[in-house]
Amino acid sequence: MHLLEWTAVLLYAGAEALAIRSLVRPRGLGGAPILVAAGLVTQFAQLFINARSLGSVPYRTLGGSMALFGWMLGLAYLVLVVRHRERGVGPFLIPFVMAFSIVGALLPSHPSPATSATRGSLFAFHVTLAILAYAAFALSFVLSLLYLIQNRQIRRGRTGVLFSRLPALDVIGRMNRTSVTIGILVLSVSVALGVTWARRVWTGLIDAKLLFALITLLVYGLLLWMDRRGWEGPRVALLSIVGFIVVLFSYTVVNLYLSQSHVFR
Amino acid sequence: MNDGHDAQILVLGWNFRGASGDVRERVAFTAEEVRDGLRRLLGRGLVSESVIVSTCHRSEIYGLGEGERTGDELARFVSEWRGLDRGLLERAGFRRFGAEAARHLFRVAAGLDSMAIGESEVLGQVREALSIARETGSTHAILHRLFESAVRTGKRVRTETEIAVHPLSIASIAVELADKVFGDLSERTLLLLGAGETATLFARHALESGLRDLRIANRTREHAEALAARVGARVVTWEEVAGELSSADVVVGTTASPQPVVRRSDVETAMRQRRGKPMFLLDLAMPPDVDPEVKGIYNVFAYDLDGLEEVAAENRRRRVREVPRAEGILEEELGRFLFWYGNLSVIPTVTDLKRRLEEIRDAELGRVPAADRERLRPLADSIVAKLLHEPMRRLKSETDAGRKLDRVEAIRHLFDLDKE
Repeated sequence: MHLLEWTAVLLYAGAEALAIRSLVRPRGLGGAPILVAAGLVTQFAQLFINARSLGSVPYRTLGGSMALFGWMLGLAYLVLVVRHRERGVGPFLIPFVMAFSIVGALLPSHPSPATSATRGSLFAFHVTLAILAYAAFALSFVLSLLYLIQNRQIRRGRTGVLFSRLPALDVIGRMNRTSVTIGILVLSVSVALGVTWARRVWTGLIDAKLLFALITLLVYGLLLWMDRRGWEGPRVALLSIVGFIVVLFSYTVVNLYLSQSHVFR
Repeated sequence: MNDGHDAQILVLGWNFRGASGDVRERVAFTAEEVRDGLRRLLGRGLVSESVIVSTCHRSEIYGLGEGERTGDELARFVSEWRGLDRGLLERAGFRRFGAEAARHLFRVAAGLDSMAIGESEVLGQVREALSIARETGSTHAILHRLFESAVRTGKRVRTETEIAVHPLSIASIAVELADKVFGDLSERTLLLLGAGETATLFARHALESGLRDLRIANRTREHAEALAARVGARVVTWEEVAGELSSADVVVGTTASPQPVVRRSDVETAMRQRRGKPMFLLDLAMPPDVDPEVKGIYNVFAYDLDGLEEVAAENRRRRVREVPRAEGILEEELGRFLFWYGNLSVIPTVTDLKRRLEEIRDAELGRVPAADRERLRPLADSIVAKLLHEPMRRLKSETDAGRKLDRVEAIRHLFDLDKE
């Protein structure tokens, strides 16, 4: 059953090769987004099959949620390329899409049967939106790394291939702002839905995952505030990296060991 | 070296290496003069094909002729045409023949023969030279193919290597750096301090790069007004400079002021007013116009002349490092051209055509019964010989070298003689 997943991973690998090539040689740029699109269709087919057999969106296992995360990240990449015509971010973003898809394919994907608590559209929207928000934050993380790299190139006067292929600081900054804004909005809705849902099925609301989601919102909220208060630039990029570390922690350690109720194994 | 042809590619030229600016100026041709020169060269029968490449740094006459003899005639022609002493012309110029002439053109088109290695302008000039020659009717099979191959080589070298990636001039480095900070310079504001030669050059370069809002400040207001009128900019009074900093995205210092014009405290105030939006400060003045201390301010990108010259020197080294790769591409394309060119000789073409006809003869004979084959062979041999006779006679007796090569090329193409 993993055939489609691995096919998607191969397509992403091919896209990465083309994206790197396009970074070195300006010709033949069109291939990477097409291969990513093909990978997304293939991976979606697998996710759809999984969803059919589970009777819900396939996020109840860590593997499933990782695969979904990778898929949404791929989608975000595609939207970015099509909308901004900026191909310079491809080589740096596609490896993340690939990595999450690989982890998704390797980790177990047979969940324990859904309880009545984890059924229903409210819960499905809560989880799917949370994953989308994390994909937006991951995108912001990659963009922030690119910002710091480009900032260094400009300050050192290194006008080489990387310098010429990476977008301008202003463009990366704007992309980053959009990504973070979307992440904050989507995560806020997801948290609100989650709280509504938890009030129905849980006895209390105190949960490590909820706490980390609020910390995440706080960090990224601070980032947007700083961006408007004259701190735009490397400091905002660094804060975005800190924000993503919180996201990763929340997604892995908190999921697996700290949260009593948010368990994806 | 004659490459087996009756006609040979040759080039007679003067470039920045051997010829002084004075000589280069005398042998530089306008497009109209190039047309006139090409018509005269062909009219006098000095060459059967010709293309003239003329730029600020070089004038080169490519032709198809008879080696040194044609070289002498071309030199005499240029000497008479431009009224220059022949000895001087010969000493300042160079000649190349056959494969070396072709290699020279490929190097020129690739930017490997330029003062600034990898510069792109020369490729357009080579293309333009071919276009003028085609209009004038002075190119046929050989030089046309030679120039098209050279242009292809030039394009490949620039896309497949980094030879043209790294900017070399201070102004283009500065504009590229600013462009990578702001993305689109057309919406940005540039404040130019000074109105001298450097300011004029930079203003032109910035406007060519798409910048629209240009402000000029100079201690002597009249000079600022004169430059502003020339390039289409707004004048800012000298006293307003500190206040203007907050609205300027790019500030360029070019004055002769002994003291820094832009102080750290001015920039700090401006950055507060700009709410931390990046500012790009470029100091092209000596002594500096911008206090070097501004480098430590958050989101300020500050460069001085020394720094940019280091970048330029490093970029030059990077371009030089790409030369071996560029030469690899060049040799590959040159090899392809020379293979085609070598096949254009009359003797190999006649041999190839004979073999082709014999192959057809043998294939057809193979289809008739064995008993009839021997009977039909003399007839088939006779047809092949008759078919070959007239084209061979005409090819060999053709006196016009260019026409002869055109015909050889036509035969090779029509009978598909170049297939591997």
